[in-house]
Amino acid sequence: MFEPFTDVVPSFFGWLNQGPLTLTIFLHTVIILPMIWIYFQEKKRLENEE
Amino acid sequence: MANNYLNSESKQLATWYFTFAAILFGAQLLFGLVAAIQYVMPGFLYGILDFSIARILHINALVVWMVFAMFGAVYWLLPDETGIETIGIKVGKLLFWIFAAAIVVVVLVYLFIQVGPADETTIWFITEGREYIEAPRWADWGIVVVALGFVANLFLTGIKGRQTGIVTVLMADMIAFAGLYLAGMFFTDNISIDQYWWWWVIHLWVEATWEVYVGAIAAYGLITMIGAHRKVVEMWLWIEVAMLFGSGILGLGHHYFWIGTPEYWWEIGALFSALEPLPLVAMFIHVLYDWGKTQGAEEEKGSTVSVVNNKPAFTWFVLNAFGNFLGAGIWGFFHTLPQVNLYTHGTQFTSAHGHLAFFGAYATILIGMMYIAVQGTNGIKIMKHTKASIWGVSMIVSGVVGMTVALTIAGYVQVLVSRAQMGATWAGYFDGQSGLWFTQAMDWRLIMGAVTFIGFIFLAKDLLTTGKNPVHEK
Amino acid sequence: MAKKSVWSDNRFWQRSATWVTGFASILLIWLTFDTSAQIAMGNDQDLKDGVTKRVPGPTVINYKITYEMDAKRGHEVPVIGEKEKFFGRDDYSEEEAGALLHLGKLGSQAKNCMDCHTLLGNGAYYAPDLTKSWLDPAWGPDGAMQALTGKNTKEEAIAEFLQHPDQYPTHARMMPDLGITAEEAKGLVAFLKHMSSIDTNGFPRNFGRMQGAVNGK
Repeated sequence: MFEPFTDVVPSFFGWLNQGPLTLTIFLHTVIILPMIWIYFQEKKRLENEE
Repeated sequence: MANNYLNSESKQLATWYFTFAAILFGAQLLFGLVAAIQYVMPGFLYGILDFSIARILHINALVVWMVFAMFGAVYWLLPDETGIETIGIKVGKLLFWIFAAAIVVVVLVYLFIQVGPADETTIWFITEGREYIEAPRWADWGIVVVALGFVANLFLTGIKGRQTGIVTVLMADMIAFAGLYLAGMFFTDNISIDQYWWWWVIHLWVEATWEVYVGAIAAYGLITMIGAHRKVVEMWLWIEVAMLFGSGILGLGHHYFWIGTPEYWWEIGALFSALEPLPLVAMFIHVLYDWGKTQGAEEEKGSTVSVVNNKPAFTWFVLNAFGNFLGAGIWGFFHTLPQVNLYTHGTQFTSAHGHLAFFGAYATILIGMMYIAVQGTNGIKIMKHTKASIWGVSMIVSGVVGMTVALTIAGYVQVLVSRAQMGATWAGYFDGQSGLWFTQAMDWRLIMGAVTFIGFIFLAKDLLTTGKNPVHEK
Repeated sequence: MAKKSVWSDNRFWQRSATWVTGFASILLIWLTFDTSAQIAMGNDQDLKDGVTKRVPGPTVINYKITYEMDAKRGHEVPVIGEKEKFFGRDDYSEEEAGALLHLGKLGSQAKNCMDCHTLLGNGAYYAPDLTKSWLDPAWGPDGAMQALTGKNTKEEAIAEFLQHPDQYPTHARMMPDLGITAEEAKGLVAFLKHMSSIDTNGFPRNFGRMQGAVNGK
């Protein structure tokens, strides 16, 4: 499942790139997850308005 | 184009931009035809107007007419959206003439000087030799000044007037659009670094900022043409912005597979760019859904009248929804994964995608905006199709789709023969180019290019004359 | 009470759009720093020490370059080997090699190479890709181009072709005479040789490995 790192120069992003998907899943997660926080904040605001 | 119906100087300036854009659109098609003929008859204009020059003019005219029409569309919609006259319109008009004059000089230099010695003077005064942004450095600075003036007008007006969601998105988007151009204005000996930043301009324009721009224009069009509900339209717009920038910014990675950049871009580029079609699906649904919804509401009231107040413009907007999804979305996804791109990179596949995407995503909606301007300029309440507008749209669409199919087939031959079988060498390249399927595809591309050009003549005729046509309801 | 849904709330989407755009941009800037460091050009010492750089220094023109399968990475990579003469010399200093590369890169732009050819796969598709053209067997000792141009080395054959492309047609589609001088041609060949040493993650695949297999035969 996890492939050894094959890039020429070691780097943080290269290290995250442990075989297919790991790096992308990580990046997508950190981009999307905070939207949950925004969601609950906005939910509270809407409830307060009503 | 003087008349009594335009009460806004901003809209008048918009018509200037649209007129110059349409002329450049014609030039783009003309030089595209020259290049297409050269594929079929390599001796055509050899040594006089070589393929490289025809192609520079083809793609530069493309970019510039779109930028002109984009500026024009913003000047057109600003008074409607903000409720005030555009601020700094005098400067805007002056910048238009500077921009137009600079373009004419650049084109004449491309045509008659073509290449220069291998030194900095060539880069500054003749050509920078970097696809799409060949414009010499002096013109780069001119473009920066013009773009800054445009952005300043937009911001001053947007801040002072009513700040709708559409204006907010346009403000954020246009400053990024102008700023990104700076990434393409330097020289380096390192071609990997060169292409790294070159893609910042090209990709972050056409796969991020321009797409968001289209989202904003589509929103404006839906509100003005079918009376769609602003709150709903603007919610869609924000969703599209989130999806377009969320996938498009890091989707830049699909250009970093093979230019010397690290392997981790395979993953970033593949997965983010694979999501790029999603917002295009959203835009597609959005346009058709809103249309159906407004029409349905009208029919419930017992009315059978169409809600569309500008038939030709709306036709182009709907084509934009289809074309953006098909050309940018599907044709882009075809070859965005590195496993596929290893073989398709730098083949006619890219060219097929480029033709349908630029047309579907941008040309369509900008032509639509031109029709909206014709409607407004002539004080037309309900604008209808004419024979010329129908011939124009049908021939242009079938021509571009035909070229795309032909180029896709040519791309297949190139991928299979030149790349997979022959290992991409000089000999392999020409084996692929000589294949029967390839040469026939190039014949069809030329025929379809000619169809597109005839369609353009109908379109130009219609844009010039339809305003006075009595079929429309004043 | 009719509860409003967050999902149909404009402010939620506006804030999400702002967050996603901002954060994706920050990630891109971070990645740009990381990548820029990795694709910065190496120097002469790296080449002498055998340090692998994605983009080697200009003095790579003093060495023989090959394109070989790397079992670990699963694709071909450029391999820099022993010294090799380039226009009769294999002792170009960093300044000399850098000046040649500078001239060649400028030339590649001044002559609009990219509007017929592809470089690193980017450009127009009217003429062959130049990414690894230095390694193309057509220019090698067994290829046709040395005999055609009457030169004995790869670099001289390419330089001669670049100066008078219309005299050596290889296809109905001919390269036009772009007024390339002898010095510019030398720079362009250095630029091409340097480009072939860039680690392009295995693009183009199988370059020059298959010969003579035409139409499936």
